[in-house]
Amino acid sequence: MAVVETKAAQAASEDKELLISGSEAVAEALTLADLDVVTAYPIRPYDTVMQAIAKKISGGQLTAEYIVAEGEHSQFEIVKHASTVGARVFCGSSGVGWAYAMECLVVTPPLRVPMICLVGNRALDDPGAFGVEHNDALFVRDLGWMLCWIDTSQEAFDTTLIAYRVAEDRRVFLPCAISADGAFLTHSQAITMVASKEKVDRFLPRYNRGDLLLHPDNPITVAPQANEDWVIEIRRQNDEAMKRAYTVIEEAYADFRKVFGRGPENPWFEEYMTEDADVILIGMGTISLPMKVGIRNMRAQGKKVGLVRLRWFRPFPTEKIVAALSKAKAIGVVDRNYSFGSPFASGVVANEIRAALYNSDKRPPLLSFISGLGGREVTLEDVYKAADLCYSAATSGKSDARTHWLGVRE
Amino acid sequence: MADATFSNATQVLEPFRGIKKVTIEEYFTSGHRTCQGCESALIMKLMVKAAGPRTIVLGSTGCMYVANTTYYTTPWVVPWMHTQLGSSGSAALGTAAGLKALMKKGKMKAESINVIAFCGDGGGADMGLNGISATLTHKDYNCLILLYDNESYANTDIQLSGMTPYGANTTFSPPGKVIRNIHTRWKKNMAGMMAAGHPECRYVATVCGSYAVEMMNKVRRALTIGGPTFIHSLDPCPKGWDYDPMLSHEMGELAIETGLFPLYEVEDGVVKYYGKTKALIEGRKRKPVREYLLKQGRFAHFTEEDLGYFQAKVDEMWEKWEIPAVIPFRRLDASKAALEVK
Amino acid sequence: MSALICEVVYRGIFQKNLASRITRGIVLSARKAGRWGIAFGRYGDSPQRNGIPAKDFAIVADTKEELEQNMARYEPKHVDVTICVDDTLSKGVESWAWYGLQPINKLTVPNGTLLMTSLQSPESLLKDIHKKDAPYKLSLIPAKASFAGLWVYREDHTEVRILGALAKIAPDFLTLDAVSQAIKESEWGSDLKVASAKKAYERIETREIKMTEGNGEIPFSFEMPKWWEMREGVTIPAIPVGKPKEAGKGYVPERNPYFKKYTTRTMRPVIDFDTCVKCNLCWISCPDSVFDVMPDGTFDAAMEACCGCGVCEAVCPVEHCVTMVNEQAFDDNASQWEMWRKDKAAYKTWLGTKIADKKTTVRSHGFRFRGQYDQELKAELDSGGVEITAGIPGENAAHKTV
Repeated sequence: MAVVETKAAQAASEDKELLISGSEAVAEALTLADLDVVTAYPIRPYDTVMQAIAKKISGGQLTAEYIVAEGEHSQFEIVKHASTVGARVFCGSSGVGWAYAMECLVVTPPLRVPMICLVGNRALDDPGAFGVEHNDALFVRDLGWMLCWIDTSQEAFDTTLIAYRVAEDRRVFLPCAISADGAFLTHSQAITMVASKEKVDRFLPRYNRGDLLLHPDNPITVAPQANEDWVIEIRRQNDEAMKRAYTVIEEAYADFRKVFGRGPENPWFEEYMTEDADVILIGMGTISLPMKVGIRNMRAQGKKVGLVRLRWFRPFPTEKIVAALSKAKAIGVVDRNYSFGSPFASGVVANEIRAALYNSDKRPPLLSFISGLGGREVTLEDVYKAADLCYSAATSGKSDARTHWLGVRE
Repeated sequence: MADATFSNATQVLEPFRGIKKVTIEEYFTSGHRTCQGCESALIMKLMVKAAGPRTIVLGSTGCMYVANTTYYTTPWVVPWMHTQLGSSGSAALGTAAGLKALMKKGKMKAESINVIAFCGDGGGADMGLNGISATLTHKDYNCLILLYDNESYANTDIQLSGMTPYGANTTFSPPGKVIRNIHTRWKKNMAGMMAAGHPECRYVATVCGSYAVEMMNKVRRALTIGGPTFIHSLDPCPKGWDYDPMLSHEMGELAIETGLFPLYEVEDGVVKYYGKTKALIEGRKRKPVREYLLKQGRFAHFTEEDLGYFQAKVDEMWEKWEIPAVIPFRRLDASKAALEVK
Repeated sequence: MSALICEVVYRGIFQKNLASRITRGIVLSARKAGRWGIAFGRYGDSPQRNGIPAKDFAIVADTKEELEQNMARYEPKHVDVTICVDDTLSKGVESWAWYGLQPINKLTVPNGTLLMTSLQSPESLLKDIHKKDAPYKLSLIPAKASFAGLWVYREDHTEVRILGALAKIAPDFLTLDAVSQAIKESEWGSDLKVASAKKAYERIETREIKMTEGNGEIPFSFEMPKWWEMREGVTIPAIPVGKPKEAGKGYVPERNPYFKKYTTRTMRPVIDFDTCVKCNLCWISCPDSVFDVMPDGTFDAAMEACCGCGVCEAVCPVEHCVTMVNEQAFDDNASQWEMWRKDKAAYKTWLGTKIADKKTTVRSHGFRFRGQYDQELKAELDSGGVEITAGIPGENAAHKTV
């Protein structure tokens, strides 16, 4: 018995290296975070995380209420309510499943429910397709959800722990969706460092619902119906919570680096070879991987290209991104989403960065690209084409207003 | 690590033995904006009076949200939270699951807390049906779903729901010069459906606010038995039905005396009629439905033909159904059965 | 170049159709002289509740431009004419939490008009109508409140009598001819109704009200919290638990301080504590948790919370133990039980006078049985269109027949 205990104690204090998918990495993090309530409903590709959690539950590594709902609407409502009585909750979906839950996604920010979700990014119907597009997660970009994109299993593990730390901070209390590109992260396995329980406990305090706890010992009325006398004040409170999240995210990454000895200095985005770059390409998610390869090859030919990979889309790191981009001669935003009929028919990220740069004294020409829709691979050729177009804009000092579609049969 | 003291036990709530024995405390008080003579507000009051202080109430969108619980206009003494129109089932399940997880893992003091989610006929019988149905299959969670049925989307301006009676005048079914009755559907049999379709739901009951003590005792029974349970309450609505608010109780009584709405409970599969419905089963004559219908403005356009149709449908419930007024199944009579075999 | 702004203050649902006929009638009448107008209800009142005070508005102007400044609004800041179709609303209007008690003449402009249907004298109405910091006119049409239900409309001519009176009050905007023409053209119009409108035009009684006249009560009001003062998560505190009435006996629930609901009331229960058999039925049946349990086991109706539905009277098994009496017979919300405890004999006399008056005990709310209105229409219109009928339907109607 004693022997077992010491073994257990050892295990608890040891990091381990596993070959796992992004979804499995999230499940590892949830187990260490001692998740309380989780709800599942099948839809590809996010549901690999629920399969992994189910194994953890039946295997006894995780004690949590595991409920298979009868649809995404209930799936999200169940965890929303579990969270209000103080439970640490997890949920997730993909594509039209996320759309089916929309009503419930809308209510979590004003209710200040720190729900963490995995969105396995998937193209929206029709046609039914399993491949990645970012439009699903972007549904909630204006509603008070924190949104981030990851590009490796390791980042999936780390970001899950960070997301709980931030969302469950009383200053924030907002839901957070972690986006993982369908297939590339949800269905492919990579070597991942899974930290020890002891470290996770040091980093992640227990969720405390405080004065918003729904319990007979804290009698409150939550979300009564309101008229025009109240709603704008309630929206203003949400606005403030999202503003507070900037500080809380910075704090969380700093502590993460202290406890785990890894993690980025800059939580908001990854900068790759941007110090001396003439051209900076911008993207979210696994699109960064072909880009990095392409950038290395172009640099071999003397083209100074760099990459900014956006991690946090909400809250949006406006000042930092402006500082990072305005030093380039031209920038190119590669969106894995569409916004039909938007300014310049650009993708969502391109228009956000345009808006961010508007008040800056130095505004490099900005080119916008749409690529990799429906899971189409982003090739090196696509990356070269984007960089070359940016280079010509850099020399002309002008950006053509067109949005370029990469890798589409023409 | 699991807390040894945790068990999934429910509160044991003995029935109130008569109106004098009803608890004096109010857990739902003044401050709501519901109509004069609102039976649904009364049902809310009786519901939490029966459940007691260690209770959490979840309310889906509807009159009992918009009129009953407006910002800073709450009548609730016990903790209350809004849930979406179709979410009464998920709200009950999620709240019960959250409490269970935290108590089981020793993160919250272990105790039995009643979880009640209510829905109107629109939120329950229309939009929320799938969520309620799913919850009634989760036998490990203790929660009660109470459907307050005022027979229309009364809050949004009285539009017809799947529970609106045949022919009733609503803003979605106005009687016209050419078409007298736009609404020709017969209302759903919710309690029967829930009891018949969910083998592990141990308790389903129908109640009416006109019989307050009986109503409260059904709530207490449901909470004591535990697991997911379901109660269907018929709530006369002076606004949508168009009658003098002081007649709310009389309307409830007439609904039962005419046999239109039966009072019964199904505990572990056994059907028990009670109150005036029991008397009807034991042979007391049903009052003609016209006595009920013609007291309500929503039926003021009815002709003798409509009244006849209505009466015939109610007679069918009592004379043709295998379990009268509960489940619309019929047994093949012997001669017909013989033909079927050939 | 000017505009006429009218508000109709009425009882939710019961008078919804009536108010809409009046505001539409104003706009359509003014249209006869080529004017522009809009008719709308106060959005915050919708969805309406039985009896809860509500407002509709009609605004007519010479030009579209003048109209625009009054459009895209929930409620005008001031009105030229306040029309009140239930005189028990003269005690004030509270339709939402945090609105506070709004005097019936709150929006009426200086020297504007408060037009009411009432069988009361100006003097008795002024016991209820709050004082105003400017003079105004009080115009009366002799009539009982018109409580048609929602689906069934009682044709008691109230809408046309109001329109006829308005032609007298604001002839520059609605001439009697224009009003008569508009009535004729409406789907509910008739020659008889035109006649009623003309009669009202002739018979309307108007009296100047001085700043010194009226109810001196300071209406309760609230200061709304700032966004950073409100609890996050759309969360508010619950109502605290109640306490015993006194010396550990009885029970008085805590009540929401931000919405009192008594302005919803047209009738209030008057209780005979001497004949009360302590059956608990009123207490258990009240949807508004109005009945406080007294140390002696009787029940006192908390008048700040009571909205006057009358269920308590309907369920009370004792004749004249709970009797609904019209609000006009009362000037305050004082506790009946305390009055009774102080001087039982005096209370008995007070109670007797209150419940003996048929005029104040008759009910006129909503639809009761098919053909009801046809019967009532037999009554002569000047009495208010409704004869004082005896008998109150309800469990023990038989006993209650006067």
